[in-house]
Amino acid sequence: MDKGHREQEEENDKDEYGMATHSSILYLQEKTTVGRVMLSVNPFRDRICRVFSHNNLFSFEDVLGMASVFSEQACPSLKIEYAFRIYDFNENGFIDEEDLQRIILRLLNSNDMSEDLLTDLTSHVLNESDLDNDNMLSFSEFEHAMAKSPDFMNSFRIHFWGC
Amino acid sequence: MSQSPTFVLNVLETPEDPEGSQEPSPYDESEVHDSFHQLIQEQSRWVAEEGLELQQRQPETGALGASGSDHETLPGPEGAPVYSMATLRILASMPSRTIGRSRGAIISQYYSRTVKLRRRAGRPQLRDVGRSARPSLRLYDLELDSAVLEEEEKRGLLVKELQGLTAAQRDHMLRGMPLSLAEKRCLREESRPLRGKQRAERHHGLLSCCDQLRDSCVLASHNLGLALLSGLQALMPWRYALKRIGGRFGSSVLSYFLFLKTLLAFNALLLLPLLAFIVGVQAAFPPAPGGPVPAFTGLELLTGGGHFTHSVMYYGYYSNATLNQPCASPLNGSPCPPEAGSLPYNMPLAYLFTLGAAFFITCITLVYSMSRSFGESYRVGSASGVHAITVFCSWDYKVTQRWATRLQHDNIRTQLKELLAEGQSRQRPQSACGRLRRAAVLGFVWLLCLGTTLGCTLAVYTFSELMIESPVSTEREAVLLLLPLVVCLLNLGAPYLFRILAALERHDSPVLEVYVAICRNLILKMVTLGILCYHWLGRRVGTLKDQCWENFVGQELYRLMVMDFIFTLLDTLLGELVWRLFSEKRLKRKGKPEFDIAGNVLELIYGQTLTWLGVLFSPLLPAMQIIKLLLLFYIKKASLMANCQAPRRPWKASHMSTVFVSLLCFPSFLGAAVFLCYAIWQVKPSSICGPFRTLDTMYEAGKVWVRRLEKAGPRVSWLPWVHRYLVEDTFPIYLVSGLLLAVIYLNIQVVKGQRKVICLLKEQISNPGSPAPRTHSNTIAVFSL
Repeated sequence: MDKGHREQEEENDKDEYGMATHSSILYLQEKTTVGRVMLSVNPFRDRICRVFSHNNLFSFEDVLGMASVFSEQACPSLKIEYAFRIYDFNENGFIDEEDLQRIILRLLNSNDMSEDLLTDLTSHVLNESDLDNDNMLSFSEFEHAMAKSPDFMNSFRIHFWGC
Repeated sequence: MSQSPTFVLNVLETPEDPEGSQEPSPYDESEVHDSFHQLIQEQSRWVAEEGLELQQRQPETGALGASGSDHETLPGPEGAPVYSMATLRILASMPSRTIGRSRGAIISQYYSRTVKLRRRAGRPQLRDVGRSARPSLRLYDLELDSAVLEEEEKRGLLVKELQGLTAAQRDHMLRGMPLSLAEKRCLREESRPLRGKQRAERHHGLLSCCDQLRDSCVLASHNLGLALLSGLQALMPWRYALKRIGGRFGSSVLSYFLFLKTLLAFNALLLLPLLAFIVGVQAAFPPAPGGPVPAFTGLELLTGGGHFTHSVMYYGYYSNATLNQPCASPLNGSPCPPEAGSLPYNMPLAYLFTLGAAFFITCITLVYSMSRSFGESYRVGSASGVHAITVFCSWDYKVTQRWATRLQHDNIRTQLKELLAEGQSRQRPQSACGRLRRAAVLGFVWLLCLGTTLGCTLAVYTFSELMIESPVSTEREAVLLLLPLVVCLLNLGAPYLFRILAALERHDSPVLEVYVAICRNLILKMVTLGILCYHWLGRRVGTLKDQCWENFVGQELYRLMVMDFIFTLLDTLLGELVWRLFSEKRLKRKGKPEFDIAGNVLELIYGQTLTWLGVLFSPLLPAMQIIKLLLLFYIKKASLMANCQAPRRPWKASHMSTVFVSLLCFPSFLGAAVFLCYAIWQVKPSSICGPFRTLDTMYEAGKVWVRRLEKAGPRVSWLPWVHRYLVEDTFPIYLVSGLLLAVIYLNIQVVKGQRKVICLLKEQISNPGSPAPRTHSNTIAVFSL
């Protein structure tokens, strides 16, 4: 890439998800303007960092990999694959009810949603997408649900540079 | 496997902490293999001790989400079998559940995919399906479980297969692999063909300079290609601006600006042939001036008349003769003009055909882009699954500002609450009385809106008749601005009235409200334009018999466009800036006004319709529209950044862009095409100006030319034949329409069949292993379609 990327390592910088945010701050230099691309407003930033980093460190190629997955030209299967990894909070290879509840709470940015609303919503999601009735979303089921939705490609996109 | 027995695992696990787990993840295949081995040992020990007694455990009631418990099975609703963490990890690596989770599995999956690509294996034959109701995954040649290969071996096999592919296929395959970039780079390096090295070794450096030359050529062309690509990217206008808008306001507001960019492209596409074949040529060979040309006053920019009347801008300037004609017979005593001898250019024919070709290209482009965006945004079976889509796809990752993300959280909260409420209300059926009441209110509001539209139409009609009654002299041309003023005022005021009336009816779904508002605004605008078209082609042609009525219509459309632009500016200023200041200072409200996407898009479509209506009478109108769109972009962007916030209603950006393009195609372009066809085929052109002044209809120019070709000789006899049997005859049109209907019917049936197959497959997934003969025969029947 002709535009320079630099990692900034800021030690002792943790946020409310308990994850050191040093790996989530990137500086992007674009000719004379210095823009700051912050993932720190994204509710899934710790998961993004964890999925794309190796041994809790971001190398330049990891940043490139992350940018390429989130770019407009990435193929849908790649995006779906990484989205599944990001949403799988407990990393057991499935998106189960606990993962779904954590996703919903992160989306609402609050911990005080009423319990029955939460269970209602998770049961609706599982009713719609769980095809083999095991109360979890496997990768194929997730892929099937996301392939049906044209909004997925639109929303799972970060503009690092250009449009 | 819905009735698989549950068993208790006694696999000892490390205690788990919620973040930053120390446990082995399924990404490490060796760990999974070890735990699987351990599991088998434990189970065989247990069976030996206790005897084979597999019972189904009763589900325990209790709280969910106790992850990390080791011996107890997690309780779940409805008695579904649940497993502990270790079993889950093993299950996760099974190919039947999750394909390609671990790195080794990804590599082997892509290995088999590459093999299939190389061998070009298609779908398995029906006779190989076998008697099982469940389509076995082995048929698709996925994970090899019989021979447990090491990961290095698999990697070597993958590299070997990749070497066998072409470069484009290899790159495509590598790009789709969900591995880290470093690994992909290694794979690409290893799978690059070593032909260059081998050849050098073979020929001992004799041909090495040729190889070097070829390599440097390839490298140079590659670099040139990359430079061109990056240059092209940089040329795309407004990249950074669009990125900022998307980052601050989200995808829905961005869709408005992308639509603006699309309209700019359409206008450029329309303008280029017109400039090349009509305007440029006529400007190079200007006709003799008919009379004194009035001086330029500032009013022409608004009215389009005066000094602009006798310029390339309007229809009346264009000559009806063949330009640059070599003189056939020398006139008495006057020599031939010195430029004789170059290509003769038949202006009326060029005018007709260029317009026809430009419209045809626009039509094809519109239909293509509409079908493409329709295909992207609507999927079979996408109506269901709205909760999953909201949970997984509603977070817009583009947004990078903190206050915008706060807004997104609120939006998602509202959306989820509305979804749940909708589900609940659907479960509770409404009483007949309530339904009747709602229908009555709905009907009443619609009646009021249609009445308003009718009122506006009558106002425009009466005013236009008034303008005909009182003829305008050339000194008081500003009076001509009154009709566009009235039209634009009504177009500005009526939508606000519609919004107030819509507050009376209470729709369940907010998306329906938006669609209904768009519908009402669209009806108003199209009916107003229809009345104006009747006024021009029906009445003005009659009253302006001895004058150039086409110039007049062109100028009317110019005035409408300018007024529309001025009123859009006023609306932006008053509706956004002044409203924000007012609500902040006086009403002391915190929130900024919302950016009204639907209203703004309808404005764009209206402006584009005006352009398409007027292009016959004023070939430079697309250039005006391009200037207008450019200015609009910067003004709207500035106002958006300063005054507005993103709309609170949930907008599916993909659906919206499909709706915009369809609205552009159907009422807008179709209406303009119908108007144009009527003007060309039925209306008598004026006899004192324009390229068709001696003909009965504009279309006759084509017919005259064809008859001249018939007399010309046998060399071009195919063209008159084509004209007589394909264009003038009505049978080909029926044939083409019949074909189109057949294609549409076929597509509908294919989609129906796909829906059926999806249902059947879903049934099979949820009940595998139960050989239902009826389902099986249905599947066979469907597959053999």
